[in-house]
Amino acid sequence: MSSGKYAQSPEWADIDPIPLDDGNGDGIIPLATIAYPPSYTEATSYLRAVMAVNEMSDRALKLTEDIIRINPAHYTVWLYRAKIIKELDKKLTDEIDWLNRVSGENLKNYQIWHHRQIIVSRLRDSLTEESDFLTEERDFLMDIFARDSKNYHVWIYRHWLVRHFNLWEDERETLDVETLIDRDVHNNSAWNHRYVLRFSPRDGPEAGMPENSGPGLKRGQLAVVDEYIVDAELEYAEDKIRLAPENRSPWHYARGVLRAAKLPLSKWKRFASKFIIEEIDDADNIIKVHVKSSLALELLADVYAEEAQAKGAEAERDKTVNDDAEEAQAEGAEAGRDKTVNDNAEAQAGAEAERDKTVNDAVRMLTLLKEEYDPIRKNYWDYKMRLVTRLSSLSTAA
Amino acid sequence: MSTGESREPKMFTGASRKCVKNPSLFTELPPISDPLSSETETSKIQRETANSCLPFLRGDDDGGPIGPLTSWGVPRLQKAQHLEYLYDSLEDYPTHFVGIDSSRPWMVYWALAGLSLLGEDITAYRQRVISTFAPMQNPTGGFGGGHGQFSHCASSFAATLCLAMVGGTDAFKLIDRKAMWRWLGDLKLSNGGFQVCTGGEGISGEEDVRGAYCAMTIISLLDLPIDLPPEAEARRHGLRMFSSGLPEYLSRCQTFEGGISGSPGTEAHGAYAFCALACLCILGRPEDTIKNYMDVPLLLSWLSARQYSPEGGLSGRTNKLVDGCYSHWVGGCWPLLQSALNGAQAASASVSPSVASLYSREGLARYILGCCQGPNGGLRDKPGKSPDSYHTCYTLCGLSVLQNYHYHTDSSPSLGGIFSSAFSWHYSPILTPSDFEPDENVFDEDDRVTAFHPVYTIPHRAAENMRAWCEHEKIAI
Repeated sequence: MSSGKYAQSPEWADIDPIPLDDGNGDGIIPLATIAYPPSYTEATSYLRAVMAVNEMSDRALKLTEDIIRINPAHYTVWLYRAKIIKELDKKLTDEIDWLNRVSGENLKNYQIWHHRQIIVSRLRDSLTEESDFLTEERDFLMDIFARDSKNYHVWIYRHWLVRHFNLWEDERETLDVETLIDRDVHNNSAWNHRYVLRFSPRDGPEAGMPENSGPGLKRGQLAVVDEYIVDAELEYAEDKIRLAPENRSPWHYARGVLRAAKLPLSKWKRFASKFIIEEIDDADNIIKVHVKSSLALELLADVYAEEAQAKGAEAERDKTVNDDAEEAQAEGAEAGRDKTVNDNAEAQAGAEAERDKTVNDAVRMLTLLKEEYDPIRKNYWDYKMRLVTRLSSLSTAA
Repeated sequence: MSTGESREPKMFTGASRKCVKNPSLFTELPPISDPLSSETETSKIQRETANSCLPFLRGDDDGGPIGPLTSWGVPRLQKAQHLEYLYDSLEDYPTHFVGIDSSRPWMVYWALAGLSLLGEDITAYRQRVISTFAPMQNPTGGFGGGHGQFSHCASSFAATLCLAMVGGTDAFKLIDRKAMWRWLGDLKLSNGGFQVCTGGEGISGEEDVRGAYCAMTIISLLDLPIDLPPEAEARRHGLRMFSSGLPEYLSRCQTFEGGISGSPGTEAHGAYAFCALACLCILGRPEDTIKNYMDVPLLLSWLSARQYSPEGGLSGRTNKLVDGCYSHWVGGCWPLLQSALNGAQAASASVSPSVASLYSREGLARYILGCCQGPNGGLRDKPGKSPDSYHTCYTLCGLSVLQNYHYHTDSSPSLGGIFSSAFSWHYSPILTPSDFEPDENVFDEDDRVTAFHPVYTIPHRAAENMRAWCEHEKIAI
């Protein structure tokens, strides 16, 4: 070790390195050991020594760079580096420049993006109105996305940037998302970012979808929606689905939009139906079905289940009215009530018939998925079928 | 190329293929594909991946799996070779592995877990495990990735699980539980979540669901107080317990797609979904916690969409490729969700859940055994990739999941205290044909692996023994 770079440097002469203890004592061989390169063994022994006394110095900063170059996954050295930069009040833009240089070689590295976040979070106060930082930052991120468009850590950072700098309405965010979706319409990370920009809560705790929006609202639903945005987003999703109907991302996106806007899925019934063409003979029997998107089938199955539920609720209501009227009649009320009973009995029967028809429609969609278009998920489709079938059998039994 | 030696196993596979049943679901590309005019990088690599799996799924002589196939056309588990691979992975690594220096706790966990899954007795490693982890423990609490490294949730999690697996008082005693409790207190955040580590003095580590799952695993296995230490920063924000605001935090990680992200607002991801659901199953009974804090139908639809054909394997995110490791991260979500749907079961009664497996056990078995086994031992992400111990461990975990029915009961008041639900899990091997399981077992009966605890991903016994010892050896605060 005495021949190493640090051992020979007068700058480090005052430091007693702390050698590695990997558990190799008492004749017991530790597990998963590594034949470290000597330069790493030496540098980390000096790291342990300076960290033990919490040294905040330029030489320690250089040491962290040395270790990061050999092992960028060394999370401790990153945190120590961030601390030194803070304590010595180093120029933050210099650190960003350095990160820009090393990020390309470390695309899969967790730590580098978290480190960037620590540095940039402190940069905000020093930014002036005319600073180009946010533009440059997003240029840089687009360079990274050009090489790895779904990198989870980079997207976490991008999301944080939006929140930290309040970029919700910033045009550049939408522009970049659209560039990425135009480049690869299947890029689900970009779709997720789009949803967050449009619908995630901006105040209060962060969340993946709207929540606690108001009394009586489900998670994912907004109390107040901008109809213009909803229409535009649904149209955007439609356009992208037309390009590639079997692409799950825009289908998920549209469901998220409908949910946020408290719209029923049936709003998309007509659109989804375009991807399923049924050939019918003279007697109105379906002789063949052409399916261009399994995701349209999935949506329609849910539309029918939703409708069956609504019809079931209607039938239930009619039944209650009917029962009340019958009860009143039994108690010797006026003969005129007979008509009410009959009307409601008819309404109830009608609603039940419609309900059963939509249940059958849902089952038909689920059967197509199960048998032909997405059979790997057979057990899930069967489960959905049991749930939807229960809608008809339950109230009929009652 | 074709020597007499290599021809022999081929003849064997040829003979056994006469009764092979490989349905078209696993041997042909899906019926619908988007027009080539709309091809993107994503759809291109998806098609390539499916194509590269086909020879392995069909059991082709050329470029397909090596060795004998079951009567279902699925390769046998190459146990001996995987054992050799895992034992080797516990020993010395060459210089270019310097990049895994901070992951040594994981390397030990993956190997020991893998060996346990394959039925090996790993208690012989007790002393070596203790020696390995002792220098990684910091006097301020917790374990780092190595000597002189900050304590980290992930390394502390791996260390705790390894010590649980090798078991014994000497192993349990290694952990300074009081210091661990204090250090974990520093990780609790005011929003209810956890950071994975801290650099001290205003330098925080990243916040994500892994932190929450690892912390709650450690707290519940080591019987640490659920109250935050008095000096914990989160107390100044009105939080009193490690669990304060936590289920709400996990709930905010569910995205519009239905899956769960690493932190609120990012993309739904299989690995984080497992961490969040397992964490909810530590905090309470799945039928309460998962049902109250997740939109279950939305979660089911996203989870179910992670399985692709013809591959049969699982992907981590929408429009991403299948990867053997998600056999655990995504596959492992299924028993937890299934248990949320079924509720607590009687421990003794014959097993017959109202909701059976909702994914294709057959598909996953075909992917793991057909596509993930490396030709020289170890398991991998997908054909064309090299095996590593991470993928070996988590594909075997997936195999364990699909071979067993996991359920929780109301009958473990003796263990776990407020975490009694987490210690009430049982399993029974799925035998087919079955009255309730729709899929056949396409694997060979001799290829069963050990059933793991669905929340702690170690053998049930290991989790229970550690908890029991810690309950007996209360720490004084």
